[in-house]
Amino acid sequence: MDIPFDISSYLCYQEVAAETSSFKMDLDDDTAVITTLKSFNSFINRPELPQRLSESSAGSGNLQSQYKRRMELLEAAEKVQSKNRYLQLDLEKKQIEMSHKKARFELEKMASDSARDLEHQVDQNQELLGRIKRLENKETEAAKNLSEQEEANRNLRKNLEGLQKKLEERDAKLNAANQTISSLKDESRELMMKIRNQDSTISAQTLETQELQEQLDLQRRCRRTQTTKRLVLQEQDIAIVKTVKSEVAKVPDLEKEVKLLRDDNAFLRESRENCSLLKEEVEGLRRKLERMEKIKEELINMELEKERVTEKLQAWENVSQSTGFNIRKPEDLSREVIQIQQKEIALKEQNYALNSRVRSMEHSQSELRLELNQQRNKTMEEQKKRETHDALVRRLQKRVLLLTKERDGMRAILESYDSELAPTEYSPQLNKRVKEAEEVLQRVQNHNVEMEVSYMHLFHRQKIEDLEAERQRLEEQNNILEMRLERHNLQGDYDPVKTRVLHFKMNPTSVAKQQRQQEVEALEEEIKHLRELVCSLQGGGCILSRFLPVICVPDLRKQIESSELKNQRLKEVFQKKIQEFRRVCYVLTGYQIDLTTENQYRLSSVFAEHMDDSLLFKKGSNGNMQLMETEFSKTLGEMVALHLHHQKSIPVFLSAVTLELFSRQTSA
Amino acid sequence: MTSTLQGITLKGSSELVADFFSFGINSILYQRGIYPPETFSRVTHYDMSLHLTTDVKLKNYMNNVVAQLKEWLMECTVQKLVLVITCLETNEVLERWQFDIQCDKSAKENCAPREKSIKAIQDEIRSVIRQITATVTFLPLLDTPCAFDLLVYIDKDNDVPEKWEESGPRIIDQSEEVRLRSFTTSIHKVNSMVAYKKND
Repeated sequence: MDIPFDISSYLCYQEVAAETSSFKMDLDDDTAVITTLKSFNSFINRPELPQRLSESSAGSGNLQSQYKRRMELLEAAEKVQSKNRYLQLDLEKKQIEMSHKKARFELEKMASDSARDLEHQVDQNQELLGRIKRLENKETEAAKNLSEQEEANRNLRKNLEGLQKKLEERDAKLNAANQTISSLKDESRELMMKIRNQDSTISAQTLETQELQEQLDLQRRCRRTQTTKRLVLQEQDIAIVKTVKSEVAKVPDLEKEVKLLRDDNAFLRESRENCSLLKEEVEGLRRKLERMEKIKEELINMELEKERVTEKLQAWENVSQSTGFNIRKPEDLSREVIQIQQKEIALKEQNYALNSRVRSMEHSQSELRLELNQQRNKTMEEQKKRETHDALVRRLQKRVLLLTKERDGMRAILESYDSELAPTEYSPQLNKRVKEAEEVLQRVQNHNVEMEVSYMHLFHRQKIEDLEAERQRLEEQNNILEMRLERHNLQGDYDPVKTRVLHFKMNPTSVAKQQRQQEVEALEEEIKHLRELVCSLQGGGCILSRFLPVICVPDLRKQIESSELKNQRLKEVFQKKIQEFRRVCYVLTGYQIDLTTENQYRLSSVFAEHMDDSLLFKKGSNGNMQLMETEFSKTLGEMVALHLHHQKSIPVFLSAVTLELFSRQTSA
Repeated sequence: MTSTLQGITLKGSSELVADFFSFGINSILYQRGIYPPETFSRVTHYDMSLHLTTDVKLKNYMNNVVAQLKEWLMECTVQKLVLVITCLETNEVLERWQFDIQCDKSAKENCAPREKSIKAIQDEIRSVIRQITATVTFLPLLDTPCAFDLLVYIDKDNDVPEKWEESGPRIIDQSEEVRLRSFTTSIHKVNSMVAYKKND
């Protein structure tokens, strides 16, 4: 009984130690100490202690020996325990040391690696710095070259400007020459004008000479006529000598005149000769003028050319002086120019090359800068890593310290528990019970889990079936509703809460409807109007036939008018004829027959004494005429009795009345 | 017109859809004989020969409607456009051409143009118009004088513009419906369908 107790306690200790050791190996778990303490406490405070106590009180005699044995065993157990503890602690210590060493080793490795990396990067940095310096030097050189090239460019530009100025001077001189040319042209024009004037004077003079010649001819003719006349006078007037004397006295005058005329003639001839001479001179002058003009122009041109050439010469000479080159011939100038051009080309090439170099340098510089940045970033990162590693190392060291402290604490606790646990006897049984209880618990838990699972399965299965059935039903419903919706949508249905249907106020349908209505109204009005017309035409009782054929109304009207006209004409004709007939009857028979009322005829005689005297006859139903009583007929009582009653003849009666009345009239 | 190099913006898509409606409605009016054929002239658009009316009043009406439609397309508030053909004598609706418009509202906030080539859109529109022309073969003959009207289904909370008024949906009583092709500009999607009165 005791041994199992000790063994159980020993096992307990073993368990605790194992737990603590495992805890110690696990550096991250700080709460394991507390949990093991709790479990140990709970194990100790089990309510099964009193059972053990009751069993142990039975054998009192054996108690002492038992006690002794127990004490020996306890001591041995204690020794064993202490040895065990010692070994365990040694083990722990070694393990901790190992772990410590490993950690240190790793840290050292990492430190060395990071140091190596640092060195490497420092080297790289230095290299990069060297490169940067070299590149900077190259940059400065390139900048210097650039500036030199720019200066050369500026000099060349200045030269070009000088040459341009000279060109401008030459242009100015050309302009001046042009101006002199224009002035000379004006002079030549003036000379031409003078020549023309002279020509005109010459022509005027020729005209004068012609006139003078004509005058001369005229005068000659006059003289001839005069002489003939004189001879005739002389021959005729020989007797008239005396008168001739006076005339003879005129002869010297005439002779003087003749002389004068001759002088004039001679003068005119001379003048004519002079004119011809003048003409020749003029022609000669003209030719000279022409030649002179040509010579002048040539002179001018020559002068201009000479000036130009002298200018050019001067310019070329000046060029040699101004540019400082050793120039005496134009070949030298061309050579110099070629040299300058070549130099310029070479300089341009150099310029382009330098530009490209500069650009490449800039590019490489930018790339190096980027590399520098990257390297700097890397070094920063490495530094950070190293710092973090240092921090980790420190933390680890602190943890190690903490752990050692905890271990010491645990050791103390264990010792205290060992001292407490010595008298107890029931730890193995408690352990057994604990194990059994745990097993039972586990079995119950498993059973629970299985039951739950099976229950849930069953429950779920039913639920799933129900849900599936409902889902299918709902799906079918959904499909049906969707089809209905689709159908309604196709037909044009809409949800009045969300949508509104609009259309343009002036839309074609409404316009067409309005037009249609207007047409319909117009047609109805026309129908009414036509019906009224028809009624009026038919006269009196309207035949409201809805299906009147559409006849042409104007034709009807025309027919009606024509028929009315016919009626009227017929009426007139009848009236005329009747009147005529009645007159004839009156004249022939002597009686005027008037129709008073139906079937009653009044006869009034032409010989009647009074206006009212008349006979009235009535037509009977059988067609016979009967005489009615009137005041006049009363006076004719005898005749009535005789002719009508006796002879029964109306014409005889009438004629008797006529005769009677006639006789009365004529006798009276 | 949107350039072929850039993508489709909301404005460009609205213009494309409005253009399609303008030409499509003209084609329907010509095919169904609502207006006499001599009042239509031929123009080339979408790489095909289409009819366009020369009647001044009709042109005016179409321009007004299409302009307003463009605005609504830009606002993404229009849901349907319906062409209703009514018989003048009996005042019955004989045919109903309905165009459903689905607008991607995310295009309103996000101004980046969408990637869709104009040629692809035009091909789709061309096939829709060809199908409309082909449907005339099975639609019943309209031998009575007819007039047409354009109805627009828009969101209820939109204001009614000046020249527009509310109308009924003018649904056909006892109709047959046929769904036609659709086209999309990646911002607007247009589905076409036609409903006609059954000839008993």
